[in-house]
Amino acid sequence: MSGPVLSIRNLTVKVPIDGETRTLIDAVSLDLARGEILGLVGESGSGKSMICRALVKLLPSPAIAITGGSILLEGRELTAFDEDAMRAVRGVEIGMIFQNPTSHLDPVMRIGDQIAEGIRYHQGLGRDQARLAAVDILGQVGFPHPERQYDSYPHEFSGGMRQRAMIAVALSCNPKILIADEPTTALDVTIQAQILRLLMDLRDKRGLSIILITHDLGIVAQTCDSIAVLRNGQLLEHGPKRRVLADPQHAYTVSLLESHPSTPQEGGSRAIAKVAPQSLARPLLEVDDLVVRFPTPGLGLFSGKKKPVAAVNGVSLRIMPGETVGIVGESGSGKSTLARAILGLTPLTSGHVSFEGSELAQNRRHTLAKLRTEAAMVFQDPYNALNPRLTIGAMLAEVLTVQGNTPLARIPARIGELLDLVELDHAFLNRRPRSMSGGQCQRAGIARALAVNPKLIIADECVAALDVTIQAQIIDLFRDLKTRMNLTLLFISHDLAIVRNLCDRVVVMYRGEIVEEGRCGAVFDSPSHAYTAALISAIPDIDPDKPLPKGDLPPLSEPKAVPDLRGQPLISMHYQQREQRS
Amino acid sequence: MHRYRFVLFRPLQLLPVLFGISIIIFILVRLIPGDPARVLLGTRSTPTAIARIRAQYGLDEPLWLQYFYFLENLGQGEMGKSILYKIDVLKLIATRIEPTLTLVLASVLLSILIAVPMSAIAARNNGRLADHAVRIVSTLGIGLPPFWLALMLIILFSVRLGVLPVSGYGETIGDKLAHLVLPSLTIALSLSAVLTRSLRAAMIVALKSDLATAARARGMPENVVFWRHVLPNSLVPTLNLLAVNIGWLIGGTVVVETVFAIPGMGQLLVRAIFSRDYMVVQGVAMVFACATVLVNFLADIVTVSLDPRIRL
Repeated sequence: MSGPVLSIRNLTVKVPIDGETRTLIDAVSLDLARGEILGLVGESGSGKSMICRALVKLLPSPAIAITGGSILLEGRELTAFDEDAMRAVRGVEIGMIFQNPTSHLDPVMRIGDQIAEGIRYHQGLGRDQARLAAVDILGQVGFPHPERQYDSYPHEFSGGMRQRAMIAVALSCNPKILIADEPTTALDVTIQAQILRLLMDLRDKRGLSIILITHDLGIVAQTCDSIAVLRNGQLLEHGPKRRVLADPQHAYTVSLLESHPSTPQEGGSRAIAKVAPQSLARPLLEVDDLVVRFPTPGLGLFSGKKKPVAAVNGVSLRIMPGETVGIVGESGSGKSTLARAILGLTPLTSGHVSFEGSELAQNRRHTLAKLRTEAAMVFQDPYNALNPRLTIGAMLAEVLTVQGNTPLARIPARIGELLDLVELDHAFLNRRPRSMSGGQCQRAGIARALAVNPKLIIADECVAALDVTIQAQIIDLFRDLKTRMNLTLLFISHDLAIVRNLCDRVVVMYRGEIVEEGRCGAVFDSPSHAYTAALISAIPDIDPDKPLPKGDLPPLSEPKAVPDLRGQPLISMHYQQREQRS
Repeated sequence: MHRYRFVLFRPLQLLPVLFGISIIIFILVRLIPGDPARVLLGTRSTPTAIARIRAQYGLDEPLWLQYFYFLENLGQGEMGKSILYKIDVLKLIATRIEPTLTLVLASVLLSILIAVPMSAIAARNNGRLADHAVRIVSTLGIGLPPFWLALMLIILFSVRLGVLPVSGYGETIGDKLAHLVLPSLTIALSLSAVLTRSLRAAMIVALKSDLATAARARGMPENVVFWRHVLPNSLVPTLNLLAVNIGWLIGGTVVVETVFAIPGMGQLLVRAIFSRDYMVVQGVAMVFACATVLVNFLADIVTVSLDPRIRL
């Protein structure tokens, strides 16, 4: 290798806020070799995205400026480049892909045109030649019918395909460096594995250098050659992957590694040890052959027959008091619909939901009243689930007043207890969600759920939006609350590792049906269903020697991949073959 | 082309809407105080003469029967006979529709020609002087009443500068256009103000959006980012605002045609109301209602063509 493609020296980025200057990037130095994949790891606010924005001089606000250091791209000093010169670097020498392909692709422009746009502008090709080049790239990133799909719009694709399209846009002008900013965070694990494979293939074929920004050390362990750990704009540690993973020098890296959910924890065994008391005859929650169908949007008044889509298709579930049950599955598998149906937030098409013996379909009023006072939900996005105009104190007081079980005079004291339970400082009483972090907001959300003194808490992807260390704290909080208050917890997540650490029992859902159910340890150690096995194998393990599944997994979310699961264990040929191979 | 299938079905849905409108119009017209026969006869009115006129125009029939005749006529493409002008209402409207149609089209076109560049300048200079200037102008445009604005424009362009005609409507095309400048400018100044406010806000959001960042990250110059990505992604809300404002625009023509003495539908409507010419008021109101419904239908089609995600 002939020297680094990119060499960053003492890069410093500052922003003036209220008269004082805050340092966002503090003298960071990094090298990127040709064909290297560098993992930038850190939590939100650590400055990992900021570094990459600084590299192409697309800082999010004009006030933020590079105040020192140098960025050498093959020996040329980028910090000295003006805007015109930078345009010839962006897209041409450094391509970027982003976390959310849906918002980063132009929704009203054909996918192919977005790829061809850069080719036409930077390489001066004509319309037809650019189209040919774009079709070629679409094929390279895994579009099965590039010629036809050129004319599709982003919304016609799944999230994984959109990310492939985003990669195609970034590769359109054959850049030397690809910056991937959390490229798989918004995707399901199986799709994530495909995208990561694609990135590695592209690196191998094109000699591309990749900067991969992620908060997931598992991804880094699987894909990267070297790791840089950032916190508060400072580079804490930088080195070859195996060295950093095996022998982390900095205490923060150690804590990151420890909070990674695939790390075996005593928590998992603890959860298994604490078996729900079977002596209680009656389950707290019983779901029997539940079906929830949604009508597909038709043409209104004059549309013909509407084909309803079954989001939940014949699910039966029993949850005993004090049990912690995890529901896992990809997006679209019906996890959230099931949760909403249980709480009576979505009309049931058929089947039964009974809560403490009270039947939702038969005795709707009574059961709903019961559910509202004895069950509570914690939502995925802590910011959107809290009313931005209410202080935390006002929010909790509202719940307690409406609930009516707490005497008015007792409410302030009860609010104090709730904050203590979720380990929030009492100073938060007068704060609004805007001025709180994601983790603090989620604690407030949990406090609100606890306010009704529930027997059952349903947590729907409640840590998905949080950083790993915060995730670990919230999981610890749940574990603690569970034992202290004898809560029954229904924990919905796409993250199998978290479920494994927290739950006694796990239910795997696929396309509205339960494909596997059992004790956590048993299911994860020896999954009996190929879909569960595929899900588990797709998790990037923190151990670099346990690689991602090789080859191209067909997207599990596409209907064609697995034609019918009703007559299980009928699985797509692909997975059977894969199983035989292994 | 499945997305455009609603074009076939939507007109069927619009029929009940128009039926409802016809009832409302019929009742509202009859709520106007006064008696057309009395207005028509003026000083010659005697009880027998009034009764004769009322019988002649079917005004002595019960209301529901009058409505039935109204519908029956509509079904045959007729709207009855004007009491004042003594000719068929449709024929009367046909003679008056061209100036109004041209005025509305010119006003909309002018509004768009003003609103898009103004919003573009404001959004791309967000927070700077140009942005504030645009905001002040558009606030003024919303605040100033059209009749006053019309008079000021006449004083400036026709009286002081003498470059444009004061009022009326020409005979030749060039003459007509010259007569249309001030009236359509009057409407466009108010309408473009509303559009600018909405479009500017949408553009500011779109300029900061992820898709704009992504376009910049692939090296697109700011002009391309703006006109090819930001503009198409900001149009839909403003387009719908424009469609909603067509009703307001038609109301605007009533005022503007009166001020500029343009022999259009608005002027016809005002005169018909004053002379209690029920048939004409009904007819003109029906045409306005149909136009509003039609424009919203067209706006739906344009919306779908602008944003491939939208299905109606």
